[in-house]
Amino acid sequence: MNNNGRLLLIAGAWLILWLRPLRIALEGDMAVHMTVQVPLLIGLGLLLAVSIRGQEPHWLAEADWLGIPGIILVIFGTSFWMLPRALDSAVADPWFDAIKFLSLPLLVGLPLGLSWRRMPPLGRAFIWANFIPKLGAIGGLYLAAPTRLCAYYRLDQQATAGWTLIVIAVALGTLWFIAAFVGWPPQHAAARPPSRDTGSKPGPPLLALPPPYASSR
Amino acid sequence: MTIQAVQTRGGISARAAVLAYVVVCGLVLLLMMVFGLLMRLTQAQWIDIQPDLFYVIMTMHGAGMVGIAGLCGATVMWYFVRRHVPVTTGIFVANLVFFLIGALLILGSGFIGGFGAAWTFLFPLPAHSGDLWSANAAAAYMFGLLFIGVGFLLLHLDIARGILSVYGGLGAALGVKQAFGLAPESEGPPPAVAASTMALIVNILGILLGAAVLVITLVNLYVPSFAFNALAAKNMIFFFGHVFINATIYMAVIAVYEILPVYTHRAWKTNQAFYLAWVLSTVFVLIVYPHHLLMDFAMPTWALVLGQVVSWLSGLPVLLVTAFGALTNVYRSGIKWNTAAGLVFVGAAGWAIGVIPAIADGTIEVNSFMHNTQWVPGHFHTYLLLGTIAMFLGFLTHITPRSNNAWAPTGFWLYVVGGSIFVLAFLTAGAASVPRRYAVHLPSWLPYDRVGSIGAALVVVGVLILVVRFLVSVTSAAPEEAGA
Ligand code: HEM
Ligand SMILES: [Cu+2]
Repeated sequence: MNNNGRLLLIAGAWLILWLRPLRIALEGDMAVHMTVQVPLLIGLGLLLAVSIRGQEPHWLAEADWLGIPGIILVIFGTSFWMLPRALDSAVADPWFDAIKFLSLPLLVGLPLGLSWRRMPPLGRAFIWANFIPKLGAIGGLYLAAPTRLCAYYRLDQQATAGWTLIVIAVALGTLWFIAAFVGWPPQHAAARPPSRDTGSKPGPPLLALPPPYASSR
Repeated sequence: MTIQAVQTRGGISARAAVLAYVVVCGLVLLLMMVFGLLMRLTQAQWIDIQPDLFYVIMTMHGAGMVGIAGLCGATVMWYFVRRHVPVTTGIFVANLVFFLIGALLILGSGFIGGFGAAWTFLFPLPAHSGDLWSANAAAAYMFGLLFIGVGFLLLHLDIARGILSVYGGLGAALGVKQAFGLAPESEGPPPAVAASTMALIVNILGILLGAAVLVITLVNLYVPSFAFNALAAKNMIFFFGHVFINATIYMAVIAVYEILPVYTHRAWKTNQAFYLAWVLSTVFVLIVYPHHLLMDFAMPTWALVLGQVVSWLSGLPVLLVTAFGALTNVYRSGIKWNTAAGLVFVGAAGWAIGVIPAIADGTIEVNSFMHNTQWVPGHFHTYLLLGTIAMFLGFLTHITPRSNNAWAPTGFWLYVVGGSIFVLAFLTAGAASVPRRYAVHLPSWLPYDRVGSIGAALVVVGVLILVVRFLVSVTSAAPEEAGA
């Protein structure tokens, strides 16, 4: 698909999501609101990032050092839209909902798509490792809440939303684990150290560290 | 590797980082052992500490020891695993910084804020202090744990990244194929890699669950009406706590695999049984934690049965291959014993011996009688003090520049003899139904406490000798060594 086609698709999908019947259907249930509509809007931003990545101004790429500023924006954006208060207002007030429709693609999805590739693997793993328990903890808090946290959602919907978040957290964690466990072919398989090399050669160890791993090249 | 290029151009050298770790570990260990001795002396009624302070000290000792055992294990693991996979010194240092910040927060929560809900911070106790501590003090404790958790998370993720770049998957780095005979043993990962992989798998999972329950506890502190299910919270806390403290052993045991061979001049044998043991223990450590909830009648029976049955098996695979491996490695090797080799050997033995009373306690029938007696600190001090920490001290002695050897054997014997007396005092007291976690003891319990105090004092002196010896020889050896 060429770039213009993709942009058209994004705009079309965005408008369809905004259509009143679909909007009401997706926002009518707290769990669907949080786990379907919000991720879809973020996904549109991700697609947008793919389209405009080529045209990204140089200074922006420079300023987004290791993707950290971008990812911080993402964290704030997602955290805000995890608050019951924010979701509630979005249901109550179309203007607030419009803010959601703009901010999730532009301030969450887009920076995520741009910054993610700039992050080192450790940073990405760290983001996952923070996101998963946070999702679970928020789910747990929804279950533990003594009262309704949203004016527009019933207590049972709140509980369903809590369980849904927990299930998603567990599923993400499991998938992440399986991916790392099965893994992918070694980047430099040739550099694999001789096994059975149990190590330290005899001799005074002193405080001289043994030589570190070095890929043989 | 680009990362290493950056490391060598600026920043802290790996050697300096390891040094800093060993120094922090040695000093914090000593401090926490003094806390332990103070508790023992109080129970023996040789000194007078009020119960509220006793419980603060108990909380600090528990959290501090568990944390520092983790740091000791991390030192050993990083030192050896970095020979096999690329790791980042900056992240290693970051973990130490996070640890120190967390430790300060925890010490402040206790000695300034009076927090004394025990290191297990059982939900919702931190929010029900009976005015002994404030919500802020409890929160400082939770944030302290979170800081330490973030540091360890980064460290394990960094090692995981290095392992994945060389081995492709955690399964391969654990030796799963070798474990089931699907690939030749000779192609398996070295012991340090298998052990680091196991430790990172279980610890990352543990930290993720621990972080979630800490966040929930924090919310509960300030908005008590958020009543999270207490049994679920207990499950999460003990999953985290059990996994973390077990991982300390599985990291520290690398010292046995790497240091004994240096003195026996024989490589450590990694065969199919070795890999199978590590795979099994990875699974067992994760599913065995319900043995901490054997008293909770509300737990589903199957979970308790699982906890009990797996308790009998949990540590065993790795324990057996390690104890057996250590014996065969030493047997007829013509080893010239010294303090370092002796300590790691004692570490393997202490772990093996400590597991026996632990298994007894993991049995529901026994647990109903023993759970809240000093039998429990008796068994875990055996495999932590005479296991994990002995392995670490073996490592510390191993890397101590060999200048003044005269004191090392003295330190060794004080440690081993004192440690044995100390744990036996706990175990016999437990068998006589002396409860654990009591600040004030009945007159008939005092003999155990007094014998235990003497043993504990010997341990403290022994560790003092080993640590001071390290500090002195490092500072005197530093000039010549600086270029190394
Ligand atoms: C000289 C060495 C040590 C001494 C004198 C000592 C002393 C004590 C004492 C008196 C208690 C309370 C026992 C009771 O419940 O009545 C205790 C608990 C504990 N100790 Fe130690 N200990 C020492 C070393 C260690 C080490 C090396 C570790 C771990 C690596 C450790 C971890 C713990 C833990 C986790 C508790 C449980 C605290 C609680 O019940 O909440 N200790 N120790
Ligand atoms: Cu356990």
